[in-house]
Amino acid sequence: MDNKVNSDCNGCPQYNAKGLKKLGVNTENFDFVVALAGNPNTGKSTVFNALTGLRQHTGNWPGKTVTRAEGAFEYNDQKYKLVDLPGTYSLLSTSEDEEVARNFILFGKPDVTVIIVDASRLERNLNLVIQVLEITDKAVLCLNLMDEAKRNHIKIDERALARDLGIPVVPTSARFNEGIPELIKTITEVANGKIICKPHRIKNVPKNIQKAVNKLSAEIEKEFPTIPNSRWIAFRLLEGDTQIINALQAGELN
Amino acid sequence: MKKNSVENIIALSNDLRWKIGDDFHDHLAEGIYADASEIVKNTVQTDDKKQQFRLDSKIDNIVTSKIWGFPIMFLILGLILWITIIGANYPSSMLANLFLDNIHPILKGFAANIGMPWWLDGFLIDGVYLAVAWVIAVMLPPMAIFFPLFTLLEDFGYLPRVAFNLDYLFKKSGAHGKQALTMSMGFGCNAAGVVATRIIDSPRERLIAIITNNFSLCNGRWPTQILIASIFIGAVVPSSLSGFASVSAVIGIAILGIFFMFFSSWALSKTILKGEVSTFNLELPPYRPPRFWKTVYTSIIDRTLIVLWRAIIFAAPAGAAIWLISNITIGGESIAALVINSLDGFGFLLGLNGVILLAYIVAIPANEIVIPTILMLTVLVTGISGGEGAGVMFELDSANETANILKAGGWTLLTAINVMLFSLLHNPCSTTIYTIYKETKSLKWTIIASILPLIMGFVVTFLVAQIWRLIF
Amino acid sequence: MSSYSPTYALLIFLLVSILMFLLFRPRRGWYWIIKNNITVNEKTVTEDVLKYLYHNEISGNEVNIISLTAVLKFSDNLIIDIVKKMTIKELIKFDGYVLSLTESGRNYALRIVRVHRLWEKYLAEKTGYDKVEWHGRAELMEHRLSHKETDLLANQLGNPLYDPHGDPIPTNQGKIAKLKGVALSSLAVNSVGRITHIEDEPDVIYKQILAENIHIGSQLRVVENNPKRIIFYAEGEDFILAPIVAANITVDVFEKDVAEEENTSRLSSLKINEIANIAGISKEIRGDSRRRLLDLGFVKGTSIKIDLKSPLGNPKAYLIKGTSIALRNDQASKILINKL
Repeated sequence: MDNKVNSDCNGCPQYNAKGLKKLGVNTENFDFVVALAGNPNTGKSTVFNALTGLRQHTGNWPGKTVTRAEGAFEYNDQKYKLVDLPGTYSLLSTSEDEEVARNFILFGKPDVTVIIVDASRLERNLNLVIQVLEITDKAVLCLNLMDEAKRNHIKIDERALARDLGIPVVPTSARFNEGIPELIKTITEVANGKIICKPHRIKNVPKNIQKAVNKLSAEIEKEFPTIPNSRWIAFRLLEGDTQIINALQAGELN
Repeated sequence: MKKNSVENIIALSNDLRWKIGDDFHDHLAEGIYADASEIVKNTVQTDDKKQQFRLDSKIDNIVTSKIWGFPIMFLILGLILWITIIGANYPSSMLANLFLDNIHPILKGFAANIGMPWWLDGFLIDGVYLAVAWVIAVMLPPMAIFFPLFTLLEDFGYLPRVAFNLDYLFKKSGAHGKQALTMSMGFGCNAAGVVATRIIDSPRERLIAIITNNFSLCNGRWPTQILIASIFIGAVVPSSLSGFASVSAVIGIAILGIFFMFFSSWALSKTILKGEVSTFNLELPPYRPPRFWKTVYTSIIDRTLIVLWRAIIFAAPAGAAIWLISNITIGGESIAALVINSLDGFGFLLGLNGVILLAYIVAIPANEIVIPTILMLTVLVTGISGGEGAGVMFELDSANETANILKAGGWTLLTAINVMLFSLLHNPCSTTIYTIYKETKSLKWTIIASILPLIMGFVVTFLVAQIWRLIF
Repeated sequence: MSSYSPTYALLIFLLVSILMFLLFRPRRGWYWIIKNNITVNEKTVTEDVLKYLYHNEISGNEVNIISLTAVLKFSDNLIIDIVKKMTIKELIKFDGYVLSLTESGRNYALRIVRVHRLWEKYLAEKTGYDKVEWHGRAELMEHRLSHKETDLLANQLGNPLYDPHGDPIPTNQGKIAKLKGVALSSLAVNSVGRITHIEDEPDVIYKQILAENIHIGSQLRVVENNPKRIIFYAEGEDFILAPIVAANITVDVFEKDVAEEENTSRLSSLKINEIANIAGISKEIRGDSRRRLLDLGFVKGTSIKIDLKSPLGNPKAYLIKGTSIALRNDQASKILINKL
């Protein structure tokens, strides 16, 4: 796990005008797709705007961005398309927002999923993080609103967090553009395979459920050897998620 | 072969579900949070002594307090409406002056110079251009004031507290506290109010908020109310009180709208919407200082211009239609006159007249052009002098002259009251209807949202007219 | 226009309104009655007879033609006619005057019960219909769903074992779990148990139970039991019921004393400045609402306290996992806590 968080980054290539170009809504011919997921009220849209140079409205409201917003940036001659998913608490329920977010991560297969969390409410936000990590291997945790966390005397051991979650962690204060260059660098490293993630998988599951999940995911893997998230699909099948059942029947999941 | 094994997997999952029982989701959620709290224990240190959010809770204790909660809320929302209505006056008349009194003659002159045929000139400049100009002049200034103010409150985080304060009242009528905000937004523009219902995540309550948003008197309708009230309501009381009387009448109409909103929310939740899923939760996010200029910029781009653009798209063909019906004649009578004649009987039953009904039909795209259309049509059918010719909408600077034209069209105090009521209770403008369709993706709900207020308008004006005629 | 008078206009309006009301008022409107009557056919009557026989078989009552015609709301001739046809099809048989189910009749009845309870489960989980409407809607739906549709429905719902009232749902093989427990009215003072079932018929009594805010899954201890009233303690509150009402609540009595849940109370009873741990969410919160609460962090063991009261006292905002979440009091009454 490589997780360098370099706070003194004036010499980094991302400050180099040639290295980084914010492309606004120009999303054609991209090399990588990056999804932004996160709880409502974590400053997700602010991060999106900071990355793309766009000015999408960000209300202080749970569940503001309902439609998917898209933007792009270019870094070292590679083009990244950014998709801002609706803010959700979870991917397990059935609301429209959650379906949009979940379907994009599952079927859209983004090259990197950036999960934005509110640093001062980490525990609540980890609910979504842990669920996303069940679906996808390539993720970056953006620990946003560090300024508020500091004001509230909350200290976070980013290294330990990165180790526990198995993905790189980048602290930011997107409102003040702090940490954005580091975030961009980390995204590009994950996209290019320079950082390999070993994402956390849910541990605290009762034994009978664990057994059922193992049995089912073994069957799924036998049928679809390339599937990256058989365990998560097993979870969904046990919940009776008709959309996943249909996708499985149509062969859309591998 | 493959198909079979997929079916086997699904059959296995069904079998396992039966074994692990109903609590699967609960256990999974508990498991995830248990993981989360383990991770947090390892990585997060909080200083309990200097605990958190002190300023937040101080603000919260005031804005949700028993004594101050409601007064502060009404003060802030009232202030925003007041600033909008007063503040929009000046730029609106400036824009009207520019578009209608300056650019319009120039365009006409230009058309005459290049020898444009009269019908093309009339169709484009008197029809399409005038309608679009009118909509921009009346709509842009109030929205450009209202939306940024509202958005500032939203970004600060105050609006969820309003929902929190008012939820109990909305719950009684089967709605969600957040509807207080979509309703307030509706006072600016119903289409924006409908978009704002996205903040309500419960399907039933969101549909209620969408369908009843039209009962908020929007910016496009305030000027109509104010004009009619000052001409007719102000005239029945001694002149020293006329200002007060007409203002109270307009506020009364707005409050009546809120009453109808509550009533129909309750009725909808008990009847056609009772099968929709209903949930409630409301997060009170921490306060965050809004960044003023950025908010102003984005709210103008995101809300004002998008809504304005939609309105223009709908207003242009409406202008064309208004010009055409006034200028195409069948058997010596214009289409407008024919339609007005056939609507007169029904109009009379409602205490209105054919002109008003036709104006509301052609003005579906934009409530802003109702008064200019009524004036033009009244001149057209009564044949009195005034106005600018068939199909050319106009407004007069003096309320007296407007009153004279309307009275020549047969208006009484009853007509005025019913026009005010009908302006509150009629179908949403086409921009709003289109927005409702986009938000609900359902023809059924769009039709209900469009028809319901219209039926209520018919019933209310009908009853008022009959009772009025019985008494007086 | 000459015949116009406001009085006539009002009269006509009044007449039309009354007519519309009579036609379309909820449930008893003529339109609905006619619509329902048209759908009454042989199948409906047959199935209602089977269901009635099945329920009486469970409770051990004898049924004859007279009691059948008295209970079912169809014309006597129709019922007698259909009973004849059913004996020919060997769904039911006569022992003298007493009617009983044959094996195939019992299987058929179980299928109807299955559809009914599955549909109630569906209404509870996936729609917003009020509890009091579930039964009536399921009564209509049980005659409409085919085998295939029923199995599909069961799959979508995760093959549930119990319906929202706590009644067991038969499987598509006709197996049915036994309902554990005895009537609350028969319990001795100080017995401890858990509510497993609340009967939804008759309507009047069901509504009384709902009004008391009594929940399936609650643990209770009987405090007083005499012919006048039954008092039990559950979730920090005392409930007083008439014996006839208590008879419609089924309780699974614990063999040993389980005292651990005794200090459990409802979140709605939490006061400002008190801190508590969440003990669970009542079974009465279902479907999307339940999932949303879990997502928001209302899981076992989480610490919770009141953050704010709204000016009208309802809703209240609770501080949970660092965030202030507002809940209405009726929701809070279905979340269980242990006060610290």
